[in-house]
Amino acid sequence: MEQILGSIGRKTIKSVNHVLDLCALTYRIFMLIFKRPQTGRVIVRRVVLEQIYFTCVEALPIIIPIALLIGSILIVQFAKYAGHYDLGKTTVILIVRELGPIVTAFLVILRSATAVTIEIGYMNVFNEIKAFEMAGLDPMWIVCLPRMVGITAAVCCLFIVFDLVSIIGGYGLVWLITNIPMGNFLDQIGKAITAADIAVGIVKALCFGVIITVTSLSHGFNIKKNITEIPVGTSKAAIESIIFCLIFNIIISSIFYL
Amino acid sequence: MYLIELSNYSLVVEGFGNSLKDIYFTLTKGDACAIRAATADAYIFIKALATLVGPQTGTYSYMGEVIDFSDYRNLLPFKKKIGYIGLDSAMLSNKTVRENLLLMRSYFENSLSLDIDAKTLRLCRIFNVADKLDMRPGELRPIDLRIAIAIRELTKPFDVLLLERPEDYFGYNSFGLFNEILKDTLEHGHGFVFFCNNQNFIDAFANREVLITDGTLVKAPI
Repeated sequence: MEQILGSIGRKTIKSVNHVLDLCALTYRIFMLIFKRPQTGRVIVRRVVLEQIYFTCVEALPIIIPIALLIGSILIVQFAKYAGHYDLGKTTVILIVRELGPIVTAFLVILRSATAVTIEIGYMNVFNEIKAFEMAGLDPMWIVCLPRMVGITAAVCCLFIVFDLVSIIGGYGLVWLITNIPMGNFLDQIGKAITAADIAVGIVKALCFGVIITVTSLSHGFNIKKNITEIPVGTSKAAIESIIFCLIFNIIISSIFYL
Repeated sequence: MYLIELSNYSLVVEGFGNSLKDIYFTLTKGDACAIRAATADAYIFIKALATLVGPQTGTYSYMGEVIDFSDYRNLLPFKKKIGYIGLDSAMLSNKTVRENLLLMRSYFENSLSLDIDAKTLRLCRIFNVADKLDMRPGELRPIDLRIAIAIRELTKPFDVLLLERPEDYFGYNSFGLFNEILKDTLEHGHGFVFFCNNQNFIDAFANREVLITDGTLVKAPI
């Protein structure tokens, strides 16, 4: 019994320590935004743009078909079973409020969080982070901050793209290939959606961007010596990012809608 | 004033020889110090001088200023002034060799210009890496990669140059060439600490030697 309690205690302390480490890393990166060091700005700007390109622009060919498929199948189900009067509101609740941010976050985790963990782990194992430091460059400013800004901006943009494509594209697809009566679907959406829905979606996307970046950076930096630690760290980063995003999704929805 | 002063410096690193035990070491401007030690001890000593590892006890002073190892950010201004050509030195793999060579300039001058200065270009031509500047480090032969790293460090505005086993680092063909370049590069005010098993190199560059035995440092004047 003591052993079980001890094991639970140790795991709890380890988990709490890890969460505190993540908070500390987030704080350090945010402080850099306010300190705004003068040196290295052009490099930071360039890395931000590269990160937005990799995370957002290159993800468009993946997220657009996924949004279309999810949007059309949901709209078919709502149209058949929810009745025309609730169609707009149901769509807003499910797609804009809940599915949009979380599906976008999952896609970014699969594509970019794993890539960031691998990249940072590789840089750590092969002394590239030390190479930055030996040149007098701050890795937190030149590696971490641009990734956080880039990924967070990308999640926000992808969330908007996902919502638009899944609602408008999904409606168009259903209208084109089925005979399901849709009524004035887009009017209903227009009436059902509020500024708060969009704002909450953006808040969620911002939080998810920060969570995904910090978790993947933290696991990347924890890889110290062996290249074999990289797949383990990557897997942990992905799973943890998903769990943290789901938890924050519930917290934010509870704050705004309960 | 000493360029570098280690006082009561102790450091234990698992798996790396005897580490360092309560040593006192000073380096003045113009000093060229050869290290005689087991490979692992010399490796740790050079890493300690490069501030890549911190002391468990004792102090490290640079130009009279005691370095605070509690935060990596405190070390950056000092690291910037130390040239480090070690067997574990690396280049950034997601940038080209040119971008790597220009990294410090890009960072401190806020410039994305890809024009390499004349001195760096001359070294690249001498070492036959000028045609490889737009390749990624992973595409280079290991010897070319090491040469590119050495060029990066030699063109850095350093006060102290740390060099580890140049005879292995550069290989037979480039070692002689490197010696000539090093003679030109090292100026009167630079400090130079190196670990080398080539007696000719030691004779050519060192004006004093230190011996590390069992983690302690013994002075052995030439």
